[in-house]
Amino acid sequence: MTTNPALVDSPTIEMDDVTKWFGQKVAVSNVTCSFGSGVTGLLGPNGAGKTTMLRMLTGLIRPSQGKIRVLGVWPRTSPKVYANVGLVPEEAAVYPSMTARSYIRYAATLAGVDDLDGATARAIETVALGDAADRKLAGYSKGMRQRAKVAAALVADPQILILDEPLNGTDPVQRLHLINLFRRLGDEGRTVVVSSHVLDEVERMSDRVIAIVDGRLAAAGDVAAIRRAMTDIPYRVRVDTDKPRVLAARLLEESLVHGVAVDDGTLHVETGDLAALGRRVPVVAREIDARITGFRPEDASLESVFRYLVGGR
Amino acid sequence: MAITTTTMRQVLGLRRAVIFGLAALAPALVFLLTSQALADEAALDRFLGMVVGLYLPLLVPIVSLILSASALGDERRDGTLSFLVLRPIPRSVIAGSKVLGAAIVVSALNALGGGALGLVYGLETGSWGATVPLMLGGIIAGIVYTALFVPLGFFTDRAVLAGLAFVLVFENGVVSALSGLSALSPWRLGLSTFSSLAPDAVTTALGDFGAADLSGFGSTIGRTIIVAALSIGLTTLVLRKRDLA
Repeated sequence: MTTNPALVDSPTIEMDDVTKWFGQKVAVSNVTCSFGSGVTGLLGPNGAGKTTMLRMLTGLIRPSQGKIRVLGVWPRTSPKVYANVGLVPEEAAVYPSMTARSYIRYAATLAGVDDLDGATARAIETVALGDAADRKLAGYSKGMRQRAKVAAALVADPQILILDEPLNGTDPVQRLHLINLFRRLGDEGRTVVVSSHVLDEVERMSDRVIAIVDGRLAAAGDVAAIRRAMTDIPYRVRVDTDKPRVLAARLLEESLVHGVAVDDGTLHVETGDLAALGRRVPVVAREIDARITGFRPEDASLESVFRYLVGGR
Repeated sequence: MAITTTTMRQVLGLRRAVIFGLAALAPALVFLLTSQALADEAALDRFLGMVVGLYLPLLVPIVSLILSASALGDERRDGTLSFLVLRPIPRSVIAGSKVLGAAIVVSALNALGGGALGLVYGLETGSWGATVPLMLGGIIAGIVYTALFVPLGFFTDRAVLAGLAFVLVFENGVVSALSGLSALSPWRLGLSTFSSLAPDAVTTALGDFGAADLSGFGSTIGRTIIVAALSIGLTTLVLRKRDLA
């Protein structure tokens, strides 16, 4: 069992010390990580190298250095592996003159699916595109095109699904539908890799996060574990109490408290040990007869974690 | 097969079919329109003037290069290349299907142009023997252009400009001046085919249009097959080795 959070047991996709440069620009730098069953969110600001990484995973572009294995092989030289890989690229990637049905059927044909009509109909139903399936893609909104692309990627029932910003252009209803779909596919044991720069989306979709900043692997694991690993950054906790100033003064005497601030009657405490603070605050509050009505970490969300990861950007 | 048929629809949508269909008929229309004005000139000379002045050196190359350059070039520009190549299909099959799809469309249009020109010449003279050879000449030249421009369309967005420079400057300029280079001119391979298969009177008259020293039909077919095979090989190599996004 691996202890490196960037690696998983039983990986379907492996990246080993992968670097990609375009001329003088390094897009991805010495990334080692792996992906397995479940949904992994590939997180990073725009330009961080997410798309380059996904393109390398699918074999669309070659790494300048390092090795990539998808189901044990490098796809460029073993195209049969694509029978088990579905990609939803960020760019258009649709034929405007085709209807969604013919586009998805074309994908099924190229993938060697036996029951073309059945598989096409199921894929259309999966993304809830039924009413519009016989309209030309040229007339589709961006969100509808995204769903058509997802259907085309799913039509061959792939074991691995790679999605580059798949929720771009979708409305809230479509977004919820797709998020639930990706979660369900992950729960079925498929490898689902979803890139996004929208933290909320990643948090809702992913069991695990790989964060990329400036082409480098900045963090990996589940969000709480990543936050726990940031030992050099104290937790910030909001404490709701009827005696914020008295409690703040008392807590400053505690060695586990790095700092306090009272803002609009709310107490904010910084600590390196969140669990110990959680045990200590009620004890101290009882000593000074203060009433605690709330105790909430303010920076354990993915957004806070990500803000720390990207630093001053 | 699916890639071939999709490529055919892709390179020849409805609008292009109308535009290029009309363009293909241009030599026949010009021949018709000039038949009154140049009534004193022999019909065969006017016909061959159209063949070596408009149909083979201009119409066939331009139709062929514009359509074939889009076969892979449009996939790359429109971002659909990833849809195509991330499939459990050997890259050689993808390359072969793209070249074949473009070649079928180009051949059909060039055959239409050659057939129409041969038809109006036949209607005027009652001589039909040049029609099929002319269609085959257009098809052969079109296949060679397709083989050249399908991979070029992948390499550069300016494939059509590069193709026009090749046709107008190299083929119709340099090669015309240096006849030793004629083997490097695709439309002259079409002319060889036409010359080899046309009736003797036509072949003899072609000599007056500087079309002497042409290779035989068998040699032309051999060269065409070699160029097409090299094109598919090069396209396969490109799809295997180059970054595709």
